[in-house]
Parts: sequence; structure tokens; C-alpha cells
Amino acid sequence: MGFVFTMRTEGSEESPAQGARSHASARGLHPAAAAESPGSVRDVHPAAPVEATGSEPYMARLSRIRTALLDAPYSLCSSKAELITEYFRGHCPLPGLTRVLAPIHFKGLSRALYDNLRHGTPQSKWQIQLSNGLQSLYRELEGWSATRPLIVDYAHALAYVLERQELIIYDDELIVGNLSSQRIGAPIHPDLGGILLLAELEDLDRREVNPIRISAGQRRRLEEEVFPFWFTRSILARAPLFATDPQLQNTLMAGRRFILTQFAGISHVTPDYQSIIEKGFSGMLAEIRDAKRELHERRSRNGAGSNGPNGAGFDGTRSNGAGYSSAGGEQEGFYEAAEITLRAGIAFAERWSDRCRLEAGRCKDPHRARELLELAEIFRRVPAGPAETFHEALQSLFTAHVIVHQESFQHGVSFGRIDQYLYPYYRRDLEAGKITPGRAIELLGCFLGKAAEQLPLFNTMATEYFSGLSSASGLTLGGTDSEGRDASNELSLLLLRAYDHMRLRQPNLHLRVHPDSSAELLDLAYETLKKGGGMPAFFNDEAIVPALEKLGASHEHACDYAVVGCVEWGIARRSFPAAGAAFLSLPAVLDDILHPPKGAGASYRSMEEIAVAFEKALQYMVQEAVDGNDSIEKAHAAFRPTPFLSTIVDGCITKGRDVTAGGALYNSSGMQGVGLADVADSLTAIEQLVFEEKRLSLSELMNAVDDDFRAGPGQEKLRVRLAVKVPKYGQQSGRAEYWAARIARMYCATVRPHGNPRGGPYAPGFWTMTTHVGFGARLGALPSGRHAGRPLCDGISPANGADRFGPTASLMSAVAASGDHVANGAALNEKLDPLYLQGEAGNRLMDGLTRGYFSAGGMQVQYNIIDPTVLIDAKAHPERHRDLVVRISGYSAYFNDLTEAMKDDIIARSLHGAPGGPACMDVRPADSLHATLDVSTQVDHNADDESGSAVSVSEQAYPSADDKSGRTVDVSGQVDHNADDESDGAVENSRR
Amino acid sequence: MSEDGKALIFDIQRFSMHDGPGIRTVVFFKGCSLDCRWCHNPEAVKAHYELAYYADRCIEGCRDCLPSCPEQALDDRIENRVDFSRCTDCGDCVDVCPADALSLVGRRMNCEDLLGEIEKDRSFFASSGGGVTLSGGEPVLQWRFLADFLPLLRERGIHTAIETCGAYPRELIQSVAPLVDLVLFDLKIMDSDKHRQLTGKRNEEVLANLRYLAGQGAALEVRMPVVPELNTSRENIEATCRFLAEAGIERLTLLPYNHLWEAKLPRLASNRKALGIAPPDGPFYGELSETFSRMGLEATV
Repeated sequence: MGFVFTMRTEGSEESPAQGARSHASARGLHPAAAAESPGSVRDVHPAAPVEATGSEPYMARLSRIRTALLDAPYSLCSSKAELITEYFRGHCPLPGLTRVLAPIHFKGLSRALYDNLRHGTPQSKWQIQLSNGLQSLYRELEGWSATRPLIVDYAHALAYVLERQELIIYDDELIVGNLSSQRIGAPIHPDLGGILLLAELEDLDRREVNPIRISAGQRRRLEEEVFPFWFTRSILARAPLFATDPQLQNTLMAGRRFILTQFAGISHVTPDYQSIIEKGFSGMLAEIRDAKRELHERRSRNGAGSNGPNGAGFDGTRSNGAGYSSAGGEQEGFYEAAEITLRAGIAFAERWSDRCRLEAGRCKDPHRARELLELAEIFRRVPAGPAETFHEALQSLFTAHVIVHQESFQHGVSFGRIDQYLYPYYRRDLEAGKITPGRAIELLGCFLGKAAEQLPLFNTMATEYFSGLSSASGLTLGGTDSEGRDASNELSLLLLRAYDHMRLRQPNLHLRVHPDSSAELLDLAYETLKKGGGMPAFFNDEAIVPALEKLGASHEHACDYAVVGCVEWGIARRSFPAAGAAFLSLPAVLDDILHPPKGAGASYRSMEEIAVAFEKALQYMVQEAVDGNDSIEKAHAAFRPTPFLSTIVDGCITKGRDVTAGGALYNSSGMQGVGLADVADSLTAIEQLVFEEKRLSLSELMNAVDDDFRAGPGQEKLRVRLAVKVPKYGQQSGRAEYWAARIARMYCATVRPHGNPRGGPYAPGFWTMTTHVGFGARLGALPSGRHAGRPLCDGISPANGADRFGPTASLMSAVAASGDHVANGAALNEKLDPLYLQGEAGNRLMDGLTRGYFSAGGMQVQYNIIDPTVLIDAKAHPERHRDLVVRISGYSAYFNDLTEAMKDDIIARSLHGAPGGPACMDVRPADSLHATLDVSTQVDHNADDESGSAVSVSEQAYPSADDKSGRTVDVSGQVDHNADDESDGAVENSRR
Repeated sequence: MSEDGKALIFDIQRFSMHDGPGIRTVVFFKGCSLDCRWCHNPEAVKAHYELAYYADRCIEGCRDCLPSCPEQALDDRIENRVDFSRCTDCGDCVDVCPADALSLVGRRMNCEDLLGEIEKDRSFFASSGGGVTLSGGEPVLQWRFLADFLPLLRERGIHTAIETCGAYPRELIQSVAPLVDLVLFDLKIMDSDKHRQLTGKRNEEVLANLRYLAGQGAALEVRMPVVPELNTSRENIEATCRFLAEAGIERLTLLPYNHLWEAKLPRLASNRKALGIAPPDGPFYGELSETFSRMGLEATV
């Protein structure tokens, strides 16, 4: 455990050793397992990375860091929350009336919010009206009494945090900095949406899924000081001021139709870390000075009142700032604030330098002391000035990343094309003989470890929608330059190798692929994937660049895209894409139109009528989501500018405007459609059974849907027919793909014309994180045959079990839904059976799949290569698989961190990922496709048994890997999907 | 066979990796000139539609199919619902069954339909050096269809392979072989009497066709479906080596035996018996190819 230099302590009620133990139980581990040595864990999992037995000394260091990270407890980080509260209380006096009213407001109405969050009790109309009335009053009062722009207050607040945040150096690390004040910490942001945790602090460390350690002191400080202060001025509190739907909070808590995320913060951006590395903070300060001079010159030329240059916002369909004032829209204030944060950043690095020197003095190991002194020297130079060496560049980058995280929410803050902008430093060091590839891997591994040191803090409801605790920091490799030439380099390879040693759940590795991609790089990517973990994911430059151009990016900027967070292709460094803003449930739209209000008596006479009704309802829901998200973004602009982040997003300095107010060169907001395949499958079912075969009427079908197909044998037969005899999206039979493509285009065409308050467009995408589980839990059965409450389909993937014609069919189905209308990313989960992927032939196969899919127009694919029996065992015995990393959506997660529903979803995905054939002898029975989740629940019950019987039960319920898993054994010339019989028998048995 | 320009196909498998190079789509033609006792695809033998019944898919308590049968060949016992002696393979019950427990094996496809299925994976053929493999059954028996169809694939630059047993008159392979890029030729057993005993036909025609193809310099891969004990005797190995050496063929591919086909038998109107041969374990094939190589033939699994 590293020495902890403590200016503030939190969680100090527990010693580190106690912490480790309580963590083990917090993550659901058996005490006995937790007491084992950390090394024992890695003996179990077959996909464990290369052990530290190699000759390269860096492997040992990385292995130790990895073990420390796997052992670290998940803890709440409240230090930023407490520091900014302290700052605002002490330095930004509230108007007198606010000081009187706000505590009464908190006392009177926090209970209603608590009940809303805890029990889903809607807040009453008068509570909402009173709250909004008071908010308007506070805002008026603040406007009159303000002595300086709010953005300057927030700049000072960040400086205050950076001056006081504890600086912790852990053993072995060569890159230092703390994303939170815990080794693995979940920071709370009361100024944004942190109050959503109001109802959960009391059992945060005991909750079933993703327990987070919280000390009694933390809880007391949050409840007594932090929350009361921010209750009336957080984004959560203030967004309703701009909302057209006063019931917004209630609508969102219902979680059935759409969810909006930006209460929690916007983030989701690829900052221009490259400029920090190249120019340093001092260079940025010089740029601001120039911009200020230019502003004054322009002002004096034009007289007062000029609004400055209006940036080429995405599309520019809306004038910025209409109808609301923005805290970061005023240029002098912005520049002042930006300068404050940069100077604070320089001082922060000086603190770090002193801290490293101090630590070096105390260190008994002379080798480690030298390393720390070297770090002290590095902090003298960067990020204040330009980096000279590879090590300096990495430390400069990470320091800037830390500051971004001290300023605001930490979701989807991505590194961009790291192999591009770090390469010159690597090259130079290599030529000067200062670095070896091994040393570079060591530094990169340390860096990857640092990036994994944080978690998002979600409440229980958010955990359903975003299971897996991903902060979704993206890191992009490969791709082309603006001339279309392959841009990958040696560093791209070294990064993959460094990842291979670390194998942590984040950051997310994204690989840009194009026809001239280096075969060496792709082969290494396949090898890396074959060991499990689901990284890297593949992105097709040829399909994505045109989609970004269509959204409004220049060719050059589109070619420089990087993946934000999970799968969102965004312009790196120049955009504020707010990529994770909203998620809409498409099946909920279908559910609405198939259940018209009583008396409306809609009876559709054709598929066209249904399609028209769907489009109308979709437009309505998109409008609602847009209105809701607009209000949140306006609240950010008005009340929570982020001046530091703004200095490193191109456009803001030139415009003199904060990113929240549209300062970036490109400004979009991401809006995801969830459950595309469910809608396509349902429409196909209605089309075939009702309109073509006329087997039953729509109302008969809907009666069965409303009964969840459970009212009698007739409905069960109908469900089986739906599952077996109606083609599904993913089988490339034609109709389901037609509907998927049509709905995808309809969705994009509905979303795309909307503009956000920052002057950019809404960008449609198809990725879900785990919102498909959350939405699915709140939705009844569907005409596709899906039972009520079951997860929807993830990303643009087919339904679990529908992909029985093999990966090429599901890939080509996804192509049908893809195209340049998909502006904000799409995630296709493709599971491959490790059986097929052995050796060099396996690489060729993955290469054939990936390149074939991309040449046909596919946009993105991520492979989960995992033996289902490993997952089943991991569900039954979490303690044996602490480091089992699985691909979830656009990100990977430790399997143990998932909700039970999500674990089942992942298992179901992996069970039916086998290639197969259509037609006659081999269609797998419907029951086995849909029964898997029932079975997995069964496994879970049995897994609680102490004896070894849990294993045998799970093996019985899920056929084991050899030839009974329901997977096809591809035997030359033989048509057989083995073991239908055995696997179904097993399913039957387990049900009885 | 192809008077109407259609082929009788019983399955199309995409993403296949074992029947020729790269990612392939395998088209299974129905109807075969042999009736091998170990045949992996017993549903491929008859050159007409046939009903198959999957007891495991049948829904407990469902009797929907019973009234649909004009021959009263259906019974409500799950395990043995179809009286195949009365069944005329008319297929009337198939649409009624919600679970696909009753289904017809075989569908007639014209060139356009088949091409449509194949073209779905064209970009993967290109990216992996794959293509189409015609299998069966015995695809060569549908040579009239192939004469129309194969040129369409060639026009499109799609690599083609054909899996064949060789048991048919020379003229057939003469017309087909020039239209494909690779012939995968099954050599089962050298002793002609045993061949007849195990496959229903003597093997003179087979050997003559193989000699012919080798003589023509066709791209050829000879494959031996290994059936432990039945064709792994020393005599058969020696005879195989001798014959291939004479034909100027230096390599042999061994296709490992599996018994999964036996699960298919109860589904069909088939009087074939399960062989009860357990799939041999790992070292078996290594030793077998050793034996071949000692006799001068490179045999790989």
C-alpha cells in the first residue's frame, strides 16, 4: 500500500487492511476466498494475462499494479464534493433571502425527493411548483447580487480543489495523479446530479449490486453540509427551470420510455490533450492572451456590443443562447476563468513535484527514490510547459485528465488518438536511445492502470441502465490520416501489448480499421481478443467518416475522429459531442401505438398504417426527450460552466465561450435508440402472422401479448410459433432486416433535425450500455414473442438466440441498419466461440469476418470470445473469477460487477453464438432459445449451496462445453446442430 | 433432375470453415448415389422431399397436427408421432405445427434463389479467400442444374468447390469438373465388395472417376471419411496408398469420425441402424496419419 500523504482524510475510519477485507465482502466474495493470497485468483481464470514470469522486468511491475487494482475496494470519493461546498460557502456569499429560504426548502422538500428516489413515489404537483417557484426566485436574487460571473466562481472552486486535494502516490507507479481520493473511487458530484444518491447513502455499502464503501463521516458530511447546500442549486434542481414538462423528474423516474443522463454531467468528450502536451499550460495561457487582445481590438474597431466570432457549430440550425442566459457565454469572464484554471493547474503540478520529492526522501529503496525524483523533475516541466520526452508526455496527459475529473463529471472523458499524438515523443526518445519498447510498455501499462482507478457513482436505478461500473474512457488506435493513409505505428502495437498485461475493465480500447490497416496490428488485436476481455472493438473508417461528414464535420476533422466513451464516433479535440445524453426505448413507442387509449379504437388495416402511427409516436417521444435534454443543457450553460475543459476543446478560446454554452467548434448531443431489433422482430411478426398468413387478428395477437403469452396452451403455441417460424433480425431472411433498416432510418431522420441549445444537432445512435435491461424490465411482452420484463436487444445486435444462422448473417443484418445516418455510434455484439478461433487460422477467420463486414458497410463490431461455461461458473462462484472481464456494450466490465439480470443476459448471449444453418434438419427449438434465462436463475439458486453440487447443477442446466452446449459443431460436410436433444433435455429437466 | 431449372436443396450453411479455403457457404444438395452406413446426413439420401419429425421440439399436450394428415399417419404420442409407413411426405402437417417439430426436408430452388442466398456472404468470401462449396447428398447428380448455375458463380468471381463421392457415370463429372475451382473427392474404402456392403455400390466407377480427374490435372483434394474399424484396416490403408500413388496423388485429408448423425435417425423414415462407434480420441488420428506417412502418403486431419 502506498504512502498516503494526507491533507484531508476521508474514509480514514478504516485502515487500508480493513478496507481490503470489507471490500472483499462488499463485492460478494466469500470471506475465505478473500483471505487467500491475491495471486491465487489468477490461477483460476484461463484468460489471465501473461504472468510476471517473463524476463522483462516491466512485467513484474505491471503485474503488481494490476493485482493492487484488483484488490482495491470500491469507495466513495467525496473530497471534491466537500471542497467545492466549502469553497462556495466561504467565498461566494448567497443573497440574504436565499440563505434564509434554501435550508427551509431543503427541510421541506428533500423528503419528497427521497421518496421519489427510494420508492418511486411521484413528486406532487404543488411540490414541483413550489420548488420551481423558489428556484426562479434564487436565480433572480443571484442575478442581482452577483459580483462576478459564475464561471469565475467555478474556476476558483477548481483551483481551491486542486490546492487541497490530497496527493497519493501508490507503490510502483511511474505515472501519478488521482482521479479520486481513493485507489478505486466513485466521486460524487453534488453540483450536478449527486443528490440522486440522497436516498441511498444509508445503505450504499450494503446494496446488492455494486456496493460502494462509505464512511460514517462521509455520509454525515454529505447529508448535513453538502446536499443541503446544493439541493437548491445543482443541475438536477435547476434544469426544471428550463423544462417544458414540469413533471420531468417524475417522467424520468418512470424509466419506461426514455432516460436523460446529463443531470449527472455532460462530459463525453475527447479533450485536446495533444495541445497540452505540445504547448503546456503556459502555451494555452499565451493563446488566451492572444485571443483576449484580439477581442479588445475587435471591440475597439467595432464599438461595444460585438458578440465575437460565431463558431461553425454543427449545422448551426439554432442560434445559441436563445431564451436563456449562459454563465460561460460572456467572453471576458470566460477568459478570466480559463486563466485561473490553467494557473491552478500549474500550481497543482508544483504541488505534485514537491510531493514526489518528499516521498523520494522518505523512500528506503534507492531505485524507487530515483523514480520518484525523476517524477518530481517531470512535474517541474509539465504540464506547465511542453513535454520533451515520452514519459513527460504521458504524465502531462494524465495530469490534464485528472484536472478535467476534478472539475466535472467523469463519464466518457476519452483520450482520443493516443498512438498518434504520443508517437513523436516515443520516436524521439527511441532515436536518442532514451527508451526501449519494453520501457514504453511499462509506462503505458502504468498509464492504463491509472485510467482504471475510477468508477461512476450510480444510484440503483441508474445501475440497471448502466451496469458494469464503466467510466467509459475511450482510447483510440489506428485509423488513417486525412489523406487516407494508414496512420498506425509502433506505439499502436505497444499499447495493445500494454493492455494485454493489464487486462483491466477500462479504458475502452478502440481500433480504427480501414482497407490498408496494418496486418500486424490487426493480428495482435485478434490475439488480444482471443484471450477474452472483449477489447479492442473495431471501427470502420470508411463508414464512419462519411457519417461524421453528414453530421457537418469537415473531411479533415472527420478523418481525425476518435471514439468517445463506448462506441460514439466523435470529432476528437474539436467537439463537445455530449454523446451519452439520452436513451429512448423504441419498443415502448411500439407498445404505445399498439395500445391506443381507450376509445381511440385504433385497428390497423395494414403495416403501412402501423408504420405511420409508429413514426408519429416516435416524433412525439423524441420531442419530449429533446425538450428534457435541452433544459438540462441550458441549466449546465447557465449554472455549471467548465472553464478548464473549455480551454482544451478547440473553438472555446477563439470564441471566448464555455463548452457548455456552445464554445466548441462542433456541438452535438447524442440520442440513442434502444431495442431496434425488438421493434423489427415485432413488426415482422405482425406482418407475417396477421397480414400475410392471416392466422390471427391483431387484437388476438395483442391479447396474447397482454397476457404475456401465459394464458393457456394456445398462447404458448403462439409464442413458440413466433420464436420458431417467424424470421428474426439477424437471420437475414429479408423482412426483419427491412423493418430494422426502415425503423433505423426513421429514427435517425426524426432525431437529426432537432437542434440543441449549444447550436448543434442531435446525433442519433444505436448503443445501449445496459439500458436495454432497464427499459426491458419496465415493458410488457412484445409481439416478437419476448416475455414481459426481459431485456431488450442490445445495440444493433439481434435478439439473443436469433443469430442462429451464424455470425455472417447477424453482421450482414447489422449492415442493413447501418449507414451514414448513424451519427453517434452503433454497437454490435458478436459472440464467437473460442473453439473456432485457435491459432493462426482463427486470426484469419476473425480478419475475414471483420474486413468482410466492413467492406459491406458495417460500422462497428465488438467480439465477445468466451466459453459460456466460464461465465456460468463465474455466476455461481464469483470469488474464482475476480478478474473475468467481459464485453458488455461499448465497454467491458468485471463480470462480478454486473447486475444479476445483466449476468444472465451475457450468459444467454454467449450460449447461442454458434454458426449454423437454416432450413430443415437443424432449427433449434424455440424453447431452448428462450428458456435460458429461466435456467440461469435456477443456477443461481443452486449456487448458494455450499457443496460442490452447485457445479453439477449448473453443468446440468447448461450443457457443458464439449458437445452439449447447444453450439453447432462444424464438422466437415455434415449438417448437424449437435445436441439439440441433450441441451433441450437439460432445459426441460431444470424446469421440472 | 432439373427439368424445371430447379435444384433440390436441403440446407445452406453459412460461415463454414472446413470444406475448402476461407469462409464458405455450403449448399447441401438432396439425393445421393450411395447410401453409406455412416452417412452424416441421412436426410440427404432420398432425392425427394421427406418429412422429418423432431420429438424434442414437440409441445407437450399439443395435438394440432393430428387432423391435418390426410393419411392418418399422425398419432398423439410424442416420441413416435409419425407413422412413416403411411406418411406420403405431403407436408400438410408442417404449416400447422407451431414448433417446427414437423418439417419437410428439402426445398426446390432456382438459380436466382440460390444465388441470392450465396451472395449474402460475398463480402466475406472476398475478405477471407472463401467461396461456395457444393455438398450433399451428391451434388453431381444434379449436374444439369449445376451446368446452369456454376457459370453464374464464375461470372461473379466466386470461388467454387464441390464435394463428391464419385459414384456416377464419367459424363457427369466431365461436365461439372471444368466449372468448379476445387474438387473435394471422397475415397471411402478400396475393397469393392466391402464398398458395396457399406455404401450400397461397388467402387469401380468411383476409382475410375478419381483417376480421370487426377489425369485431367483438376484441382483436387482427396478425402477419406474415417470410420474406425470399417476403413482403418492396414489392408485398406495400403490399398489406398497404392491407388493414390498410381494416380499421382500425394496428399490425403482425413475427415474425423463423429457419431452425431445417429441422433437424426429417429426423425426420419429411415431404416438405417446406428453404428454405435464411439468417436476415437486424440492420439488416434495422429497415429493414423503416421501410418499413412510411413507408406509414403501425406495424410492430414
